[in-house]
Amino acid sequence: MSRMRILLDLDACTGHGRCYSLAPKVFGSDDLGHCELLLAEPPEELRESARRAVATCPEGALTIQETA
Amino acid sequence: MSSALEVNVSTGEANPYTPSVAADPIPFYSALRTHCPVATMEGMQGAGVYIISRYEDVRWALKHPEIFSSDLVAVDIGQDRPLIPLQIDPPEHAKYRRVIDPTLGPHEMAPLEDEIRLRVNEVIDQFVADGQVDAHAQFSVPLPGKVFLQMTGLPLDDLDLLLNWKDEIIRPGGGLLPPEEATPRRRAAGADLYGYFADVLKDRAENPGTDLLSRFFGTEVDGREMSNDEMLDICYLFILGGLDTVTSTLDCSLAYLAQNPEYRAALVQDPSRIPAAVEELLRFHTPVMQILRVIKEPTELHGVKMNTGDTVLLMLGAADTDPSEFGETAEEYCIDREVNRHLAFGGGPHRCLGSHLARLELRVALEEWHRRIPDYRITEGFELAYSPGIREVEKLPLEFMPLKLNSGV
Repeated sequence: MSRMRILLDLDACTGHGRCYSLAPKVFGSDDLGHCELLLAEPPEELRESARRAVATCPEGALTIQETA
Repeated sequence: MSSALEVNVSTGEANPYTPSVAADPIPFYSALRTHCPVATMEGMQGAGVYIISRYEDVRWALKHPEIFSSDLVAVDIGQDRPLIPLQIDPPEHAKYRRVIDPTLGPHEMAPLEDEIRLRVNEVIDQFVADGQVDAHAQFSVPLPGKVFLQMTGLPLDDLDLLLNWKDEIIRPGGGLLPPEEATPRRRAAGADLYGYFADVLKDRAENPGTDLLSRFFGTEVDGREMSNDEMLDICYLFILGGLDTVTSTLDCSLAYLAQNPEYRAALVQDPSRIPAAVEELLRFHTPVMQILRVIKEPTELHGVKMNTGDTVLLMLGAADTDPSEFGETAEEYCIDREVNRHLAFGGGPHRCLGSHLARLELRVALEEWHRRIPDYRITEGFELAYSPGIREVEKLPLEFMPLKLNSGV
């Protein structure tokens, strides 16, 4: 089964909050509104929303590594 | 007249502060991005005032505060000191954000939803039976004000006072006065605003509550207690940032949805589409058209040299409609936009700290409005007049089927 791993660059995150709005099961927020990774390796059924959330980050703070 | 004419492609000069740009900025933005990605302010050649418009350039500038500084005390908005944290550069900036952001963070905002919903319905109750409303004066203006007063524990009766000072600072006389008339009005309103909050803070020091302002006391910045001046400088920003921007976004949104029944119907039919619609409305209208920065280290972009002390307008609205980021539909409202990395709240370290509250207010406002007033239109023949800079309308007369007063909440 393919694996998907999400990487968070906390220095780049400034707390737009798009990720945890779009994929609340994969991303959460700390008190400042900055991203917290809830599931760095999301299961199949959450990957589509996770991909969309990663692509929507205005700061480019999130990236995805996929392995076969 | 097309707003593209406000860009002089042969001289590279442009002027965003005109009614025609505010009314329909998209042709203006397109001309800027295409012909002069680093334009100069019209009539100010040699003064060092530049306009940056492409998405990647604006984003790059936002992420480099060491070059594009927010140390803008020279820009007179009636203030005596820099607004905190808006006009403070990193690394000092982060010390303030660390203590202010949690007070307006998502964890704090979520429990406010029910209260905000009540406020929205109270506001709608005032006109729902009439079948017509000036949605600017009777909805977009009072709503964020009432929410702010509730969060800060200030009396509702003070709303008009605060709104008047806010308008006198942001757009004295409607925003088209010459500086020699605008400046003294700004300073007078600014002095009144400081005075008002000095009294409020004195009272909160003696009788602390659980409101946003009481929480400043005992808050530590960099290992010391926040000073009275620092609290005042935050209050000043709350008024300017908190009241005007949600008003303008509601104006732009309702005006647009009134003129586009198919998009409105989609939200009425399926309110779960409202959060995505809020993001697209923010992108497409970008009510805060531009933000200012001052050059701190000489830099060059597209062959234009910018020197220390020069002023730069980062045209957020132009970035948010750039096809290089948003594709072929960049200049259209797209109900199903998959990826929307808009910069309507800015970006980089100064990303709008009220954005979580703003999103909540906008979502709940659009949910309740469309639940109770699903069908509405602009009064026939009325021409909307948008104010430049922050795009609110002077008046938004809407007509709808009058309803019985029953908020159902």
